[in-house]
Amino acid sequence: MNRRTTLASAIALTAGLALAGCSSDSSDGKPDLKVSQAFMPQPVSADMAGGFLVVKNDSKTADKLTKVTSDISDDVTIHETKSQKMQEVKSFDIPANGRLDLERGGSHIMFMGLKKKPKQGEKVSIELHFEKTGTVKVELPVKESTYNPKHH
Amino acid sequence: MRTKYVPAAIAFAVAAALTLTACGGSDDKAKSPVTDVSADTSNKAATVLDRPFTKPDFVLTDTQGKKFDFRERTKGRPTLIYFGYTHCPDVCPLTMSNIALAKRNLPKADQDKLQVVFVTTDPDRDTPESLGKWLKAQDPSFIGLTGDFPTIQAGARSIGIGIDPATKDDKGNVVSMHGAQVIAFSPKTDQGYVLYGDSTTAEDYTKDLPKIILGENP
Repeated sequence: MNRRTTLASAIALTAGLALAGCSSDSSDGKPDLKVSQAFMPQPVSADMAGGFLVVKNDSKTADKLTKVTSDISDDVTIHETKSQKMQEVKSFDIPANGRLDLERGGSHIMFMGLKKKPKQGEKVSIELHFEKTGTVKVELPVKESTYNPKHH
Repeated sequence: MRTKYVPAAIAFAVAAALTLTACGGSDDKAKSPVTDVSADTSNKAATVLDRPFTKPDFVLTDTQGKKFDFRERTKGRPTLIYFGYTHCPDVCPLTMSNIALAKRNLPKADQDKLQVVFVTTDPDRDTPESLGKWLKAQDPSFIGLTGDFPTIQAGARSIGIGIDPATKDDKGNVVSMHGAQVIAFSPKTDQGYVLYGDSTTAEDYTKDLPKIILGENP
């Protein structure tokens, strides 16, 4: 558990996000969201793909991820995986001073019917729609199909 | 392929060392999900079974539309089996890609010995053609099987893998289920003797496959 937390922080730090991540007492009532570790594993085909990222909320106000949109697909949904079944959900909570982990084997963004198959090295742009924070643009670098930062 | 991980791993390790002093322990620890097993200290992907499984006795249909008698066709060969479905964005392709990557690291002779079998848990949507196309993109040698769901389910159950039939959610989307494990069958005993969970990495398979091919314990 400990090791994973450190690793997550480490990745956030390498991405230059950890400085703000260390303070956790913004108190102006607005969520303070930071997105990190975003990626898309190169999918098998353009039929479908998964997207993964971490949203950290360094504030006392909770938020919700309600929708994801992207130029690459008109059918983007958010899913949770429970006992080997994935199910679409309406939203994901991002608790106050908490985080939302969309990671391999767990919750994820699902893209169906992609306009083309994303290839390793490319980037896929998405917009995350949050209930309070509004829209945040994120780029998902396309990684190798076996990529899983959890294990590195 | 493997060397790519190294710089990243070092970068993360260095950053991890820095982070300890920079941030101290955050309160993330308490909030981490209890189901997270990635920090398992045993650090071993393989579970060698005390009581190995007998091979499932099922005859299914391969990606050419031909009958495939699992016991007969895999007899005396090191075999991995996984139950999943192709409308699966994450775990199923990840599992097959991990195995594909590990297999490519084997000597050619060993690659030819190993059989990797993917059995669909969603036979309504996974036709022999679509299954063939999906598997070919990962490794053309992979064997894809489909058939009646009850036959597939019974075969899976016989090796300790529980799968439910696909259902529809309230929006009419099909919800399918993949198996939780990959089972390795020994070429010596034809029994399923090693089990891999879905957090097994390509590196784990790369390390273990040479042993599996010999029917030895990883």
